[in-house]
Amino acid sequence: MKADIVRTWGLHALLVALVLGLWEWGARAGWVDQSFVGSPLGIAAFTVENVTNARLWGDLVWTLTAVFASFAIGSLAAMATGLAFVTWPRLEAFCEPYIAALNVLPRIALVPLFILWFGLGLGSKIAMGVSLTFFIVLSTTVAGIRGVSQDHITLTRTLGASGGQLFFWVTLPGAVPVLFSGLRLGLIYAFLGVVGAEVIASERGLGQQLAYLGSTFHVNGVWSLLLDLALIGVLIMKLLGWLERRLLHWQ
Amino acid sequence: MIDAQHIDLSFDGVLPVLQGVSLCVKAGEFVALAGPSGCGKTTLLNLCAGLVGLPTGQRLTVGGEAPVLGDRRVAYMLARDSLFPWLSALDNAAFGLKVRGVPLVQARETAAAMLKRVGLGGSEHKLPKALSHGMRQRVALARTFAMPSPLLLMDEPFGALDAQTKLQLQDLLLQLCQEGERTVLFVTHDLSEAVALADRVVVMSSRPGRIVADVPVPLPRPRSIRALQTSEDFHHTYRQGWTHLEAGWVHHEG
Repeated sequence: MKADIVRTWGLHALLVALVLGLWEWGARAGWVDQSFVGSPLGIAAFTVENVTNARLWGDLVWTLTAVFASFAIGSLAAMATGLAFVTWPRLEAFCEPYIAALNVLPRIALVPLFILWFGLGLGSKIAMGVSLTFFIVLSTTVAGIRGVSQDHITLTRTLGASGGQLFFWVTLPGAVPVLFSGLRLGLIYAFLGVVGAEVIASERGLGQQLAYLGSTFHVNGVWSLLLDLALIGVLIMKLLGWLERRLLHWQ
Repeated sequence: MIDAQHIDLSFDGVLPVLQGVSLCVKAGEFVALAGPSGCGKTTLLNLCAGLVGLPTGQRLTVGGEAPVLGDRRVAYMLARDSLFPWLSALDNAAFGLKVRGVPLVQARETAAAMLKRVGLGGSEHKLPKALSHGMRQRVALARTFAMPSPLLLMDEPFGALDAQTKLQLQDLLLQLCQEGERTVLFVTHDLSEAVALADRVVVMSSRPGRIVADVPVPLPRPRSIRALQTSEDFHHTYRQGWTHLEAGWVHHEG
């Protein structure tokens, strides 16, 4: 088993080294144009320089603030709306056409409006993240609550449980597994929306830095920032995985 | 304890479920409702629990009053164990008491004693996923019996168990009922289970459910499931019940 893991990691390392080696060799030999594709050593040099630069950390904090704020606002609003929809199905039926129309709208097309309304600062980025997170978490909240075992609900009702007891002791924990899959997607989409909005127009943020580096043909910088974004995405997934294992240990 | 007089019930006003059902269960009695699937046994139980609303003008009382959902005098046990997968066996067993306002420490103490009583001492902190079907149903029994409710409504609680586990749990139920003054209305489609456990077996016909017989079980208590297998009275009562069940089918088909 351990040997298998070592062999798998060894193969990954070999593949990455081979691709990077070929890329570096091609760039130095003039087989590929460094102005358009950069080079691995150039990317490494930029990354080292950028890590020691306060600007990167400031932009990182800016982006993550927008991501987590939009995730929190979007998720809470979606969960409250989902609960209202399950409690009052007529409200859901009434709102359904509006929800469906908004949900199919390409959200990135809303960025100009958000910038007009909220400016180039955090507000427009949070609005963008919320517009993506909300609909994903809403559909899983409704599905999660509707999927709670009817036996659990019947049993609890025969015990004379209050509405609060039924919700907090039965409905909410019963809906958590489905809800969690929505929250996981919601966080990824909040990240996607915020960075996307930053690329279009922003005062600060990793997306803004990425757009600036691209517009100034600093390809090594673009690659380095893309690696940073991928790393952040992986860390977010790891954090959610850890949280899921703790919250859903009973599954 | 339960008094139902000429209950007629139909779903959506078109599909008749119960027809002229009259049933009287005295305090301390164990009454089994037996009949084919879909004959309205569970509906009658749900009427008693207040889960199904009683049509206007019909008369059904539980402890002298109209059935109310959440009545503390009633404990309901479903066909499936209905354990909450996120709670330990102990917290599942204490759940009914907790909902009914018993302080958590006291609820857990009572539940722990009841788990021990049903043979699950040492498994208090296990999650349902770590328990077998039989063990899960024991926890459900502990949850039901941990509540001091004088009336137990049980809806085919052993219906999904294998034959051997079922016999063990029937024995356990007999012991638990013999320990306290409980009135039990027990729904089952298994006639031998009904005869083994009950003081009376009320036989229902196919839908629309009518009561076609009320068969007294002349078996002394305390009982043992194993000893009953060789009892002539047990087999005689079983044959009697079976004759009535068949009559209910014939009536339906005719």
